Amino acid sequence: MADAFPQALAGPSSKERKYDRQLRLWAASGQQSLEESRVLLVNSDGPWGNQSSGVTGVVGVETLKNLVLPGVGGFTIVDPAVVTEPDLGLNFFLEENCLGKSRAGETCRLLRELNPDVEGSSHAKPIAEIVKEDPDFISRHQLVLISGPIQRSSLDMLCTAAKDNGIPVLYTRSVGFTSTFSLQLPDVFPIVETHPDPETTQDLRLLNPWMELDMAGARVTNLESLDDHEHGHVPYILLLLHYLHKWKQSHNGAVPSNYKEKTEFREMVRSGARTNTPEGGEENFDEAVAAVMKSLNPFSLRSSLREIFEMDECKNLRQDSAEFWIIAAAIHEFYKKDNLLPLPGSLPDMKAQSADYIALQNIYKAKARKDIEEVVGLVRSIEARLARPVKVSEKDVEIFCKNASHVKVIHGRNIPRLDGDARTTKIIKNNLTNSDSIISLFLAFQILDDIVTDIQQGNAPDESLDNDAVWNTHIDRAIGVITSDNPADIDEEARERIVQATQELRRTEGGELHNTSALTGGLVAQEALKVITRQYVPLDNTCIFDGVRSRSEMFKL
Amino acid sequence: MLKIWSMKQKQQQAENAEGADGKKKKKVTAAQLRVQRDLQELTLGSTMKMTFPNPDDILNFTLTIEPDEGMYKGGAFAFSFTVNQNFPHDPPKVKCTQKIYHPNIDMEGNVCLNILREDWKPVLNLNAVIVGMQFLFLEPNASDPLNKEAADDLRTNRDAFKRNVRTSMAGGTVRGVQFDKVLR
Amino acid sequence: MASADSATRWKYLYKALSKPGPFSDEDWVPGSETISALESSKVLVIGAGGLGCDILKNLALSGFKDIHVIDMDTIDISNLNRQFLFRQADIGKPKAEVAAAFVEKRVKGVKITPYVGKIQDKDEDYYMQFKLVVCGLDSIEARRWINSTLISMVDFDNPESLKPLIDGGTEGFKGQARVILPTLSSCIECQLDMHAPRPAVPLCTIATIPRQPQHCIEWAHQIAWQEQRKDEPFDSDDMEHIGWVYQTALERAKQFNISGITFQMAQGVVKNIIPAIASTNAVIAAATTSEALKIATSCNPYLENYMMYAGEDGVYTYTFEAEKKADCPVCGNLARKMTVDPDMTLEVFIETLGERPEAQLKKPSMRTEEKTLYQRFPPQLEEQTRSNLKRKLRELVQDGQEIAVSDPAYVIDFRYRLIFS
Repeated sequence: MADAFPQALAGPSSKERKYDRQLRLWAASGQQSLEESRVLLVNSDGPWGNQSSGVTGVVGVETLKNLVLPGVGGFTIVDPAVVTEPDLGLNFFLEENCLGKSRAGETCRLLRELNPDVEGSSHAKPIAEIVKEDPDFISRHQLVLISGPIQRSSLDMLCTAAKDNGIPVLYTRSVGFTSTFSLQLPDVFPIVETHPDPETTQDLRLLNPWMELDMAGARVTNLESLDDHEHGHVPYILLLLHYLHKWKQSHNGAVPSNYKEKTEFREMVRSGARTNTPEGGEENFDEAVAAVMKSLNPFSLRSSLREIFEMDECKNLRQDSAEFWIIAAAIHEFYKKDNLLPLPGSLPDMKAQSADYIALQNIYKAKARKDIEEVVGLVRSIEARLARPVKVSEKDVEIFCKNASHVKVIHGRNIPRLDGDARTTKIIKNNLTNSDSIISLFLAFQILDDIVTDIQQGNAPDESLDNDAVWNTHIDRAIGVITSDNPADIDEEARERIVQATQELRRTEGGELHNTSALTGGLVAQEALKVITRQYVPLDNTCIFDGVRSRSEMFKL
Repeated sequence: MLKIWSMKQKQQQAENAEGADGKKKKKVTAAQLRVQRDLQELTLGSTMKMTFPNPDDILNFTLTIEPDEGMYKGGAFAFSFTVNQNFPHDPPKVKCTQKIYHPNIDMEGNVCLNILREDWKPVLNLNAVIVGMQFLFLEPNASDPLNKEAADDLRTNRDAFKRNVRTSMAGGTVRGVQFDKVLR
Repeated sequence: MASADSATRWKYLYKALSKPGPFSDEDWVPGSETISALESSKVLVIGAGGLGCDILKNLALSGFKDIHVIDMDTIDISNLNRQFLFRQADIGKPKAEVAAAFVEKRVKGVKITPYVGKIQDKDEDYYMQFKLVVCGLDSIEARRWINSTLISMVDFDNPESLKPLIDGGTEGFKGQARVILPTLSSCIECQLDMHAPRPAVPLCTIATIPRQPQHCIEWAHQIAWQEQRKDEPFDSDDMEHIGWVYQTALERAKQFNISGITFQMAQGVVKNIIPAIASTNAVIAAATTSEALKIATSCNPYLENYMMYAGEDGVYTYTFEAEKKADCPVCGNLARKMTVDPDMTLEVFIETLGERPEAQLKKPSMRTEEKTLYQRFPPQLEEQTRSNLKRKLRELVQDGQEIAVSDPAYVIDFRYRLIFS
């Protein structure tokens, strides 16, 4: 979008003005991904026995609100429920005249009012029925949101279909003051634009300057001969290169490598500053001194990137490999050449005359451009080798090169459950013994879901939700599942924390409070946006929010 | 709420603070209070004078600097200080009210002093600002100018610069620009 | 209490308020008493923008029935990506009125009273009517004002004068919620250093050695405008003005071979735009409303006292207790009541200050909000205020008025409320 900005006084379009505050976070590319996405919300799955009409689904609607506003392409609501009186005390996207009508249809209508750019549709049938009639239904969406609990069979069907189609799933539970949600990503989920702290991406190459930078440093020869003005405006990068050159002459060509040497080197730089100036020092020298410890470190590949290079997807490219892997493989080849990544090319601001700074900036930019061209060349030869029909765009190569050091691949895990894989159980168990952890809430939600499933399937009476004996049996069973190897692992205190967590859920008999669902809808939408735009780093993979103590915790379950 | 209040009353006994009855009047603002303190802690030499057009409004005043040494000796330079209600989170706004020939002050009266902008911190006080202002007249700084011509003169020909300072202070013209007469 | 109808409608909320939880206070009485306390609580929302819209919705659906909202702004197109109570057709209308009308229409039984204007327009009598105040503001100055106002309202003889202040703020994917019990816990002023000042570039860099596109924009905005369009006040909402800054910055950048200026960037620099999205606002607004509900009903413990949230990398929150500062200029030294003879001269009054038990103020300077009573330094101001010394207190202050006293011997300042004997 920045490129497309009009040069004239006309200014931005009305759409750019409407979305201005978010474009500053995810730019035109993120906005485009968002506008090309359609989100499916499965907001309930039938009643819980005769007493409850089932999931009230506020959290799902609140999540959609935060996706419709920034301009998601479209949404589909699946919800067989009709609007009842309690819905009106919970759901902002329903009004008096909605009573008795389809909740899917009514919430869809009121959500669409938020943004005329967004398309929305609704289905007042259970998801299982819809998919039976229309097997491609799920694959027409780019993200699936589920408001739990839903029947085990529906959940399994949705998660499997999503996984088969490479579609992420967010499964959310919100009860009383607490909530939890989990993100199921595809097995391999790469992110290029992770937006790390700019400080951590700085790559100045002072210890191993390329020819042009080295030459620029070498041109600083006789600092003593400069007048005060010139002396106080030599960019600190060149000062460091100059003093490094001097250091190497007296250290057999070696650069300062340990803390002691760096401290000595720093003193050497410091002693070069003139102190008889009006300010009693020089800002450029101050900047140079401050940069010694953080900028004079040999390059080392982050372990996350090393793992990516070693992944099967990177090593064994196929004709239909995703573009991410083609570029990653090209960058790996680039890296193997002299153990460096393409230069990001950005230069921090520093005390300098305009022309000197721009000249130095151009040296960095030119090198970055040259590295990109080299990677493009590698990409092209890979493409030729694989006989790929469509070429990767240079723009995508450029974005990858600029972000190379911090690209990330998340290995998606399934929506966790108590009786899931051994790893999940082990993490739950380990955290249960920690009195500061709120993992007990996750367990409480699992237990609640079990009880609801029993009611839905007719295996337990409706009153079970408020029956101490039923809850106790389920708590014992849950502890049994986690401690199959050694029941002594869960002591009385840990059990008490689980009991307390269930008590908090039982206050509303499994029902939602608007405010908790509004908060959770914000958190879930945030994750949805990160997944859809493929920018920033999404949750991996479960978050628990405790509104009683106003805190949250993340787990990889 | 009850819980909060019982905690409150306990604290009250410890501190022996009291509230007044009836309707309350406007309260001295945090910015006013801070300026009151800062003014009291000023150290003004014989070269500086402050004037308050309205003594009840201590957030707006004028500082006059009359250097007794250096190239600007003999002049009287007036600066307006405007302190807003967000002080000391925001720095005071300082402007020279005369057109003067100085490398760090431009024709619009903007002043380039680090602690008035990029290096301002709420722990700094008005005295630090005033000391910095005074210093500008003792040691004009050519290396980071606002008035580039004046800075170039200072750097390349100090004697010519001194002559220009004298001319400008007398209300004369330098490089085609007429300056305000600021001689005492 | 509630009718049978509302009992059905508010079924889940009423359940949460009718049953103790494992963490609710032992003394708490659940049930109808709590529900009526909630429904009769009058609350004030400051700001009807990004946070305010969500806060109003959340309060209305959390059982609050009497809500007031203050905002001086009108609706702009750039609000529509998150301020969900506003539509294209509402652009230019006052936020407080449109937001109030929308929520009142949508949620049956709630009354929302808007005020279009500044918080400073209102006096203590106005703020005294509320049970608590929820803030969704983007200005530090306004936060400081309401903070010090609520602190000065605390009267130890009247429990109702303590108005909990719940404050939210966001920036991009980050935000925070905090609970302030005026005079009891860490206040906005105690936490002022948590607001990083806006990073500034030296004026001389902008004037003579620009290196970044932002430096050129600042030059156009701060220096070129003053030189070339001196007589027109700059208006950052006027597209022609922003366009001029953009063009002027482009020309300057060309001179210095600097690239990368965009209209969007020019607007961002000039208006100091902070990125904002619906989802972050939803999180922080609900975090503040949750505390409002807990404080109004005691159904669960409230936040003590700060929760920060960061969403760039997973979901991260950090909850901690910010410290109350003993030397806080607002809550560190509260006003003490002092009974004085109104016919005493200021000079004599100052002598009595030298004999106070809490501090012997030997060289005090002092003022009221509107008047400098006596200022010892600088000499010009001393001269201008010296005549007050011979005047009687009744000529200088009103009964019940607050004076603030600074003395070089003490690092803290003192406030006294003068009561005429």
